[in-house]
Amino acid sequence: MSIIEVNNLTKYYGKARGIEDVSFSVDEGEVYGFIGPNGAGKSTTIRLFLSLIYPTSGEAKIFGKDINQHGVEIRQEIGYLPSEVFYYEGMKVLDLLKYSESFYKKDCTKRMMELAEIMELDLKRKIDDLSYGNKKKVGIVQGLLHSPKLIVLDEPTSGLDPLMQQKFFNLIREENERGATVFFSSHILGEVQKMCNRVAIIKEGTVINIQDIKSLQKDNYKKIRIEAEGLDEKRFSVEGVNNMVKDNGSINFFFKGDINLITKLISEKEVEDVTIEEPTLEEIFMHYYV
Amino acid sequence: MNIFLREIKSNIKSLLIWSGIVLMISTVGFAKFSAYADNPDLLAILDNLPAAMLEAFNLNSFNLTTVTGFYGVMFAYFGLILSISAVMWGSDIISKEERDKTLEFSMSLPVSRGQVVWAKTAAVLFSSIVLALFTWGAIVVNAKQYQPDSKFYEFVALGSLALFIMQMIFLSIGILIACVVKQHKLSGSVAVSLLLGTYFISILSSLSDKLEFLKYFSPFTYFNAADFFRDAKFEPVFVWLSAGIIVIALAAGFFTYSKRDLYI
Repeated sequence: MSIIEVNNLTKYYGKARGIEDVSFSVDEGEVYGFIGPNGAGKSTTIRLFLSLIYPTSGEAKIFGKDINQHGVEIRQEIGYLPSEVFYYEGMKVLDLLKYSESFYKKDCTKRMMELAEIMELDLKRKIDDLSYGNKKKVGIVQGLLHSPKLIVLDEPTSGLDPLMQQKFFNLIREENERGATVFFSSHILGEVQKMCNRVAIIKEGTVINIQDIKSLQKDNYKKIRIEAEGLDEKRFSVEGVNNMVKDNGSINFFFKGDINLITKLISEKEVEDVTIEEPTLEEIFMHYYV
Repeated sequence: MNIFLREIKSNIKSLLIWSGIVLMISTVGFAKFSAYADNPDLLAILDNLPAAMLEAFNLNSFNLTTVTGFYGVMFAYFGLILSISAVMWGSDIISKEERDKTLEFSMSLPVSRGQVVWAKTAAVLFSSIVLALFTWGAIVVNAKQYQPDSKFYEFVALGSLALFIMQMIFLSIGILIACVVKQHKLSGSVAVSLLLGTYFISILSSLSDKLEFLKYFSPFTYFNAADFFRDAKFEPVFVWLSAGIIVIALAAGFFTYSKRDLYI
């Protein structure tokens, strides 16, 4: 069964584009990645799911129910973590969580306490006094305390230190194993690759590609930079290398293929420095899709 | 219920401040009255003021040297203060969530927009009732020292009801504006400007008979202290007009807010 079903969903803010003709579906139990650069329409799509804004045309169904007509029922079973969390001033963490809990039909106190302990949350503190990262932790507990059937994450890791990110991903994995479907929006390819089964790539308001993660990884480019004296770029002109740029004693290029081939080539001569990294999403877009 | 209680809690500080203002004005006002009480010199001064000014401040209809007359003149100021508090509460309770960006949290909870607006309306209604009762009490307590007669208390009771209706009108208008205006930064200033605008209309309408039709456009003229002092009741047309404004403003606000995109 499809948990999310989106058909030709379009949203314009006046004349400004939000998203155009977006269609995809997310199966039950899936971790679905939604990836694209800033301003591509990720948050717009999510806000449509939550009925914070209404579509210009097209439709979307969550749990088989239309988002415009059954928003309240749908939100009973959605856990949402926005990229930036803002809560009421002057409330203590515990008060806020209890307030949030009071809207759900089931008793969530036990799960709330469990989550607070996992995220090492100090429940007695005032929310105003919390750092950005700690507010985010409140957001995670608040979003998951009712054991939702669908978890919607909008760039969830910004502001969390690596240790907390790890805990967070473990938590999401556990929720997924329990049966929750996860919709994971991000502009960081690495974390989406780690978590997701399938991924939709959105750019300038339209979904340009839907792929499963394995094939995306096969297609994966590495960004390589080599610094050395008397560097001859012709040496690296092998298959899989492109966009080579020589600049001031260093060469930069993208490589797709067997990484051993390149490391061998690099080690043949003395080099000063080598970096091999994941290209940014923008770079991938530039080289894949333009 | 949870939204209602939270909003009441968050509005307590503001309620205390407005109560403080009301208390100060009634205390200072009645302290000043001690200089006017049974003072024939004051009447002589008032007689020399321009007629238009007397009309604008409702000084023609009341004898400022009696405590009842003094309340009749003060009524307009209480009306202004309570209306400002109401219009600000009304617009703020809706628009603050957009201003503080808490909307993304509160509206992703399983509640409908309608439930949210009604709960918030109920919360500011509660604050307004408390402030109205407090104002009534402050006036009665402060006037006690001048041993007013029973007619005074009846007049103040009727006046307090009039103040409450004015509060309701401006509360609904404030809510309507915040529900309709997408730009949350604007809604507060639009609400207060509208209030001041209608206040000046009320002054204009009293200046000349030709401008009298304007009184239908300003809630400040619906309950003229001189009239309800004389008749011991309100003019029915304005009571109906008030009820109409309140119902239409709330219904329109509710409807628009349920349909519009939220500004995040």
